[in-house]
Amino acid sequence: MNMIDDGTSARAGLEEDVEQYLVFQCDTLRIGVRVDCVVEALINQVITPLPMLPDYVCGIINLRGEVVPVVSIRLRLGKPSAQEQSIIVLSINGTQLGVLVDRVDQMVKLPRSSILPMPATSSQKLMSGMSSLPDGGTMLELDSAVLLEH
Amino acid sequence: MDNGGNESILDTYLYETNTLLEQLDSIVLAAEQADTFTQNDVNEIFRIMHTIKGASAMMEYESLTTVAHRIEDMFFIIREKTMESVPDPDRALLFDMMFLAIDFFRSQVEKVQNGQPLSKDIDKLLEKINSLIAKIQGDADGAGNAAAAPAASAVSAVPETAEAGFPYGLRVFFDEGVGMENLRAFMLVTEFRGICGEENFTFFPGDVETNAATIETIVSQGFVLSFRKEMDRAGAIQVVSGSGSVRGYQAFDNPAGATARQEGPKAAAPAAESAPPAAQESRTAALKPAQEKPVGKNVPAAPAAVQGAGSHPKESLISVNLSKLNQLMDVVGEIVITESMVTASPDLKGLKLDNFTKSARQLRKLTDELQDVSMSLRMVPVLATFQKMQRIVRDMGKKLGKKARLTLVGEDTEVDKTIVDGIGDPLMHIVRNSMDHGIEESEADRIAAGKDPEGEIILSASHTGGEVIIQVKDDGRGVDYDKVLKKAVDAGLASPEIEYSRKEIINFLLMPGFSTNTEVTEFSGRGVGMDVVKKNVEEVGGTVVLTSEPGKGMTTTLKIPLTMAILDGMEVSVGSSIFTIPINNIRQSFKMSDSDIIHDAAHGEMVKVMDNFYSVIRAKDVYGLDNGYDKIEDGILMWVESGECTYCLFVDELLGEQQVVVKPLPNYINTFNIKQHGITGCTILGDGNISVILDVSNLYSAIQ
Repeated sequence: MNMIDDGTSARAGLEEDVEQYLVFQCDTLRIGVRVDCVVEALINQVITPLPMLPDYVCGIINLRGEVVPVVSIRLRLGKPSAQEQSIIVLSINGTQLGVLVDRVDQMVKLPRSSILPMPATSSQKLMSGMSSLPDGGTMLELDSAVLLEH
Repeated sequence: MDNGGNESILDTYLYETNTLLEQLDSIVLAAEQADTFTQNDVNEIFRIMHTIKGASAMMEYESLTTVAHRIEDMFFIIREKTMESVPDPDRALLFDMMFLAIDFFRSQVEKVQNGQPLSKDIDKLLEKINSLIAKIQGDADGAGNAAAAPAASAVSAVPETAEAGFPYGLRVFFDEGVGMENLRAFMLVTEFRGICGEENFTFFPGDVETNAATIETIVSQGFVLSFRKEMDRAGAIQVVSGSGSVRGYQAFDNPAGATARQEGPKAAAPAAESAPPAAQESRTAALKPAQEKPVGKNVPAAPAAVQGAGSHPKESLISVNLSKLNQLMDVVGEIVITESMVTASPDLKGLKLDNFTKSARQLRKLTDELQDVSMSLRMVPVLATFQKMQRIVRDMGKKLGKKARLTLVGEDTEVDKTIVDGIGDPLMHIVRNSMDHGIEESEADRIAAGKDPEGEIILSASHTGGEVIIQVKDDGRGVDYDKVLKKAVDAGLASPEIEYSRKEIINFLLMPGFSTNTEVTEFSGRGVGMDVVKKNVEEVGGTVVLTSEPGKGMTTTLKIPLTMAILDGMEVSVGSSIFTIPINNIRQSFKMSDSDIIHDAAHGEMVKVMDNFYSVIRAKDVYGLDNGYDKIEDGILMWVESGECTYCLFVDELLGEQQVVVKPLPNYINTFNIKQHGITGCTILGDGNISVILDVSNLYSAIQ
């Protein structure tokens, strides 16, 4: 599925206190990213592996002539790989980064107030918050900037 | 000046002025060598100063305008009187002064470029110019000197001419070439009479209404008014400021006594009186150019301009914004990729398409040509950069008291603009090093060593295949290997136990924090030099190699690939990975078998190729790939070379030659330092797959 290039137009119709997220599946976890960082979602894209990189860096892909790096969210979270096929391309502060996920789940609008910070005891640096989903499940909010760090 | 729409005017000004300054530098350098300015030189300099003066005036850069004007005046006089009029001992002064002026202009232009305020302090420079002009006019006496000065708007050394009882003075200058200055002065007088009354002020020259000869005085010294009351002078200033033909004015006060004042006018106005013949002669000589101003100034400028233009072959040139060229290169690069995507499309595999193939071949030829032309747009000769080095050799030679000449070879060699820009600073540093450390302190040392007392630095540029080779070779004392090694050990860069080869020792010079100077001189010795040079050169994709024969000299060689964006590569496969090796780095490829491998004591592998042994490096092992051939006879050995480094790389298969557009790796990937392991870029192949481009020398250093 191809989305709008910059999430701002998606947010144009939103009220002030609501955030829109793209939720994806990673093992048993459901993780969401703000739509304004999402560039595109791809499936079955050929990834060219690069040597001498940590295992969670899968390699690079050719996105219409642009070379974009891809990281596996599973491996980044220390989980085993599972032949994932979906890549969500994010734009983080001007840098493009692809995230390899199990599959794309849904798009949700959540009231900003419902997004709570992670518990103080949590050592999970990659997530910046959590929220309940309308269908009863829990969504972890991905801190994309941290993804760009090592 | 408001910026907005004036930005392109500023850009043009900067570009033109910088270009003119460079031309000026060359002319003066050559003239200094010949110890004279030819008539052509004089005309050319006059023309350049005139242009800079005009442009700077338009941009309201006063200091630049003033200095340019003075030099223009000086060269006008030299043109009239020829170089014969410049006494021999003063010629060196003249050249020095020109260089001072050029540096002044440069520094001001740089300030403009950086948005900084310009210096107003030009007095010293003007003093030098004025004293030179005086010497040229054969008039060493101060009055003549001072008399010549007012021709421009410089601060006048002429004693105030306010008369007794009228202490508030005002000196008015009319616009150059406006004509009939005496009548204009009289018009001012009439106006002032109306404002403050005839008896409340005096003026000099007094006979402006009737005597046209006063024009000369007014033009050179200004029209001088003296007011009884300050208030009247203030009113006069208002009038003068509003007047269209007034260039400027000076207010001055004279509380001193009558007698002193009487002296003033006499000394300062020799033209109006019968002054000593020498002074008279110098006045007329000085005035003549001034007199020329209204009518003649434009005229001499015009033939000078024509002459100037005539002495250069008229080239049809157009200056293009570099960003447009970059854009063009990008698009052409994409066309190259897309062209191969079309012609090598998997959809066409196996089909027999004669007409298509013919057209495809034609298309390929055209895209190749398009590529060549667009790349050539960015090529500029290294000449300009090389010539900048002349100045450095000259200036440093003077400062250090060393005689050395710079010889240029291959200065017309053309190189991509980004490379030319990138090597400017490194070259300056290398040349400085040669002057400072290389060339011997005293001529006696050189003669004792059997060398020409004048040191020589050869700066050369040449193409070989896909690279441009730039060399700086000096015939100085070369590298003191022992001293360097000791310094390296002291700095912790080397271990005292290990025995280093000369090559290794000389490479310590390229490491950060290295310097054999015990004191930091103005030019070098901070130890931040050669490693920065290396970094800058590597940024444009090149390598730095140092060689030296103690006592004979030192050579620094920069090898830079001609273009970084598009390269001819050989696709190879290792397991399921595809790599691209630049064709320029491949010497040969051959098949061998396991039995040809020779093992060394450290489990390294080598093969013998044409009487030499080369290390064998298995790509599969270097990159920890899962699959790939292990037996030598299954795969293929590629004998690769880059700079000083040469070895055999073992890969599975050769897939074919491809012209590829180099795409840099994403920044995120580069943060993992993968460049150090031989992977510097990638390319998108015709079928959309990505191939990694190998950097032959990095790969090798990575596994050391």
